[in-house]
Amino acid sequence: MKLITKTSLNFISVCTVFFLLGSIVMYFSVKNIVQNNLKSNLLQQKENFISSLEKQSIHDLKSDFVFISKINESKEFSFTDTVLIINNQYVLFKNIQFSCLEEGLNYRVNILQSQSQSDILIMKLVIVNIGLAMLFFLIVFYINRHSVRSALKVFYSTINKLEGFQLNKPTPLKLDNAEVYEIKKLNNAFEKMSTQIKNDFDLQKEYTENITHELQTPLSVISTKVDELMQSENLNKHQMEQLAVLIETTNRLSKINKSLIFLTKIDNRFYSDKKKILLNNLIDDKLCLFEDIIGQKHIKIELDYKKDIYVEIDPNLAETILINLIKNAIIHNHHDGYIKISLTENSLFISNSGDELSFNQSNIFNRFTRNSVSNKSLGIGLSIVKRICDLYNFNIKYDYKDEHRFIINFN
Amino acid sequence: MHNKHKILVVEDEVELAKSTLNFLEENGFIAFHASTLNKATILLKQNNFNVVLLDLGLPDGDGMSLIQRIKGSKNEIGLIIISAQDTLDKKIEGLDLGADDYLTKPYFLSELKARLNAVIRRLNLDANNEISANEISLFPDEMRVIVNGNQVDLTAKEFDLLLYFMSNQNRVISKITLGEYMSSSYLDYGFTDDMLYTHVKNLKKKLSDYVSNDYIKNVYGVGYKFEV
Repeated sequence: MKLITKTSLNFISVCTVFFLLGSIVMYFSVKNIVQNNLKSNLLQQKENFISSLEKQSIHDLKSDFVFISKINESKEFSFTDTVLIINNQYVLFKNIQFSCLEEGLNYRVNILQSQSQSDILIMKLVIVNIGLAMLFFLIVFYINRHSVRSALKVFYSTINKLEGFQLNKPTPLKLDNAEVYEIKKLNNAFEKMSTQIKNDFDLQKEYTENITHELQTPLSVISTKVDELMQSENLNKHQMEQLAVLIETTNRLSKINKSLIFLTKIDNRFYSDKKKILLNNLIDDKLCLFEDIIGQKHIKIELDYKKDIYVEIDPNLAETILINLIKNAIIHNHHDGYIKISLTENSLFISNSGDELSFNQSNIFNRFTRNSVSNKSLGIGLSIVKRICDLYNFNIKYDYKDEHRFIINFN
Repeated sequence: MHNKHKILVVEDEVELAKSTLNFLEENGFIAFHASTLNKATILLKQNNFNVVLLDLGLPDGDGMSLIQRIKGSKNEIGLIIISAQDTLDKKIEGLDLGADDYLTKPYFLSELKARLNAVIRRLNLDANNEISANEISLFPDEMRVIVNGNQVDLTAKEFDLLLYFMSNQNRVISKITLGEYMSSSYLDYGFTDDMLYTHVKNLKKKLSDYVSNDYIKNVYGVGYKFEV
C-alpha cells in the first residue's frame, strides 16, 4: 500500500466515524432544542388562554386546535404527543393538557401545535450541516493529499534512483535536493552510504586485479623461460617431454587462477548488467563454438525447444553458464554419444550419455571435484555455474539415470 | 626477412623482459628495454621505434597513460599492450586509446611473434606484404598461399596454422601453445590435441601436393617445428 493511500485511508476512516457521531449528536440536540421551544410555546399559549378566560367564556375560546371537555377533578398540566388525521395525512402534534375552573366546573383544556414544521426544520438543518461538513472534509482531504504528495516527490525519486543504482557503473549516486528535513537526512545518509560502498567495491576490484597481475607475471616468466629452453639444440625426447609438461602445467595454473578470479568477480557482483536474453539463440550460438570437437567425437545433438525462454541476466554470465554446461556434456561423453538440450516453460535441461561419476553426486558443484579419468578439466566450471545460479536464485540440480542430467529452474 | 625493426619493451619484470628481448634479437629485431614509464618516455624521445610492447602495471604508474603519448606523436608506431589484466573493459579501454593489440599474460613467445608480425603488417611497416619460406609464399591480407606459382586451397584454420608456423620458423612450438592460439582466435572451446593433430595432418597433406620438402616436423610428440 502506498504511503499516500495509507494516510488517505486513515483520514477517511477517522472522518467517517467522527462525522457519523457528530451527525447523531447534532440531530438529537437540535431535536431537543426544537422540542423545548415547542413546549415553551405551548406554555405561553396556556397562559394566554387562562388570562383570556377572565374576559370570555371558556366555550368561546374553543378552536380547531383547542379542545375543551368537562372533568371531575382538576389535574396538573402535562405534555403528550398526538397524531391527527388531516386531509388523509397523519400529522404529529404536540399537546399540552391542563385543567381550569370556571363557574365551579372543572374543564380539561388541550392545546395542540403541529410538529411537522419543526421536523422539516430539523431535517433541513441536518442536511445543510452534513453537506457543509462533507465539503469541508473533501477540501481538507485533497489539500492533505496534495501536500503529502508534493512533500514525498523527492522521496519517490530517491527510491527510483536507488533501484537503478549499480555499483559497477562509474556514476555516483546523486539524489535530488529535498526541502523536507527527514527526507533530506535520508538522502544524505544514502549518498554517504553509497559512496562508502562504492569505495569499498572499487578497492576490492583493484585488489582482485592486482592479484591477477601479481600471479600472472611470475607465470609469464615461467612459460617464456620454458619456451626458450625448448628451443635449445640437442634436447632428447625425455627432456622435451618434461618441458612440454611444464608448459602445460603453467598454462593450467594460469587458467585456474583466471577462473578463481572470475569466481571472486561474480561474488563481488562485478557482472551485474541485466539484459533480457533469449536462451534459444544463445544455446545455438554456443553450440557453434564446439562444432569442431562435437564433430570429432561424433556426438549427436538433439534440441527440443518447447518455448522461447527469456532470462534476465548479465550476458557474460549467461554465456558462462551455457559454455560450461555444454563443455561438460562434451568432455564427459562417449565417442558416438549424444547431448539433449531442451527448454520448457521455465527450465533448461541438458543431458548427455556418459559413465557414472566416480565421486559422490552431492559434491558435483564443489570446487576442484573432478572425475579421476579426465584430469584435463580444472574442476571449477560447475562451481562457477552453481555460483551464478545462486546469484540469480536459479535452482540447479544434477541427477544420473543412465545419463548425466542438469536442470536449471529459472523461477 | 626483416629490415631490422626497432622494438621497445616496457616491462618491469626483469626476467620476463630478458627473455622477450632475447627472443626479439634472435628474430632479427632491434630491441630496447624500459622498466619504468619514465625510462620509456626518455627512450621514446631519443629513438624512432616501430613497435612498443607495453606492460600496464608499472612501478611509476599505469601504462595506459603512455598510449596517448605514443599514438599522439607518431601514428606509425605500433603498440601492443601486454597485461595480466584480462577484463574486457581494460581491453576496450586500451584499444580505444589506440593500441593495436592486447596480449594477456602469461603469453607464449611464438604468440607474441605472430601478433607482432600482424601489427607490423597492418601498419605497412613491411614494404612487401608477404611472409615466405623457400618456395612457400604466404599473403596474410589476401588469405592466399602460393607455392611455386600454384595456389594452395586451405581452410581458415589451416591457413592460420600455417601463418603461425611461418611467423615462427625454426622454433619448437608446443601443442598447448598451438591449441591456445587456435582456440583463442576462433573462440573455439576445447581445442584438443586430437583436433590439432587433424588440422596439422590436413595442412601437411595439402602442402605435400606442391612441396617436396616436409617443413612441419613433429618434435617428439610434444610439439611441432617449421623447419627451413
